[in-house]
Amino acid sequence: MTSSEAKHPMSQYLQQNQDRIFENNREWVASKLAADPAFFEKLSSGQHPDYLYIGCSDSRVPANEIMGLDAGEVFVHRNIANIVPNTDLNIMSVIEYAVAHLHVKHIIVCGHYNCGGVQAALSHTDMGLLNPWLRNIRDVYRLYEKELDEIDDDGQKYARLIELNVLEQCRNVIKTAAVQKSYHENRFPIVHGWVFDLKDGLLKDLKLNFEETLGDIKKIYNLEVGTSRKSSTV
Amino acid sequence: MFEFALDSNAAWANYKGHQNPALFKTLANGQSPKILWIGCSDSRVPETTILGLNPGDVFVHRNVANIISLTDINSQAVIEYAVVYLKVSHIIVCGHSACGGCGAALSEARVGGVIDAWIAPLKALRKTHEEELKSIKDDKARAIKLAELNVKSGVDALLSTYFIEEAIRERGLKVHGCVYDVACGKITNLKCGNAE
Repeated sequence: MTSSEAKHPMSQYLQQNQDRIFENNREWVASKLAADPAFFEKLSSGQHPDYLYIGCSDSRVPANEIMGLDAGEVFVHRNIANIVPNTDLNIMSVIEYAVAHLHVKHIIVCGHYNCGGVQAALSHTDMGLLNPWLRNIRDVYRLYEKELDEIDDDGQKYARLIELNVLEQCRNVIKTAAVQKSYHENRFPIVHGWVFDLKDGLLKDLKLNFEETLGDIKKIYNLEVGTSRKSSTV
Repeated sequence: MFEFALDSNAAWANYKGHQNPALFKTLANGQSPKILWIGCSDSRVPETTILGLNPGDVFVHRNVANIISLTDINSQAVIEYAVVYLKVSHIIVCGHSACGGCGAALSEARVGGVIDAWIAPLKALRKTHEEELKSIKDDKARAIKLAELNVKSGVDALLSTYFIEEAIRERGLKVHGCVYDVACGKITNLKCGNAE
């Protein structure tokens, strides 16, 4: 980098951004060690989270922070609009690792109001690479077309689609063999649907009835018995 | 345990709102994060917490072993949204010590299910760097080495993505590679991106 580039206001700004991160990280370490000198030693022995959190990539919804939980407590996957497509190897690996290997007790699908991904799916725009991903949300709209079309207010329709998307993605989690088998053997994990409200920072529980939903799903998607976990769990 | 999480959310919202009464009002108006974080799903590496940042600061994708595969539509959608629409200034790819995915890729045993397919890129890296990895006798150190190689490979993949090349050229986007040490909480910059 030449000295003239280094003096450019944008370069300086970017450097400050980056420096701030490393400073913050050192401060965070110091505060953790002050509260518990063995904090990191305990973490380095392994992770035993009770929760798997599947949420949106949105910067305003930091998973463990909004749950008031610390490092080591929540296994996390975040993508655009908290979607759980059954052919997506990425999220299927996350679910399988969390359930079959970490034995999490709860799986949370957490959406949020004002979700940009859901809004994009409500607009009629070609977004290139994002199209196949956002299609999953359009498919949720189609599943609940009648209910959503009856809502006149656009804001309310948008909010309801966000809730329905969470509930539908919870069903996709329950359709996995990993969840069905573990629940059959251990009575866990339980799947929950939440929506985070940016206006007050509070979580709303959509009160998904896990037992009932599992029962409904098993009519078609039952993968509890059959091939061993070694050959397929998703 | 579940009620505990909801209760602690109420306490967190109260605390954050008290610290900065305008926080949630500002957040409801939109997001303009400066950073895209691509990290591991591991519970011990919570990005916003370890970076000491606030809600609204970091756009996030986390998967098993922070693997960046250019044909993975899940992570690609996140990266495109962050770079093209949110115009983040920095992308941080962060691996970590004691990563279960790296451990699995270094073992001869099959994990089972879909995970073996997901961590195949790690297995490929292990083959490419076989001599270097074999020369490291300590298991933990070897896993950290693979985590570093994986971060570098992810950074290289990002740097060869069309819209990232464009954002670097047009507005100076910076791509960084880091590793986080779960045993001490500190992040080390691997200086393998375009920032150094």
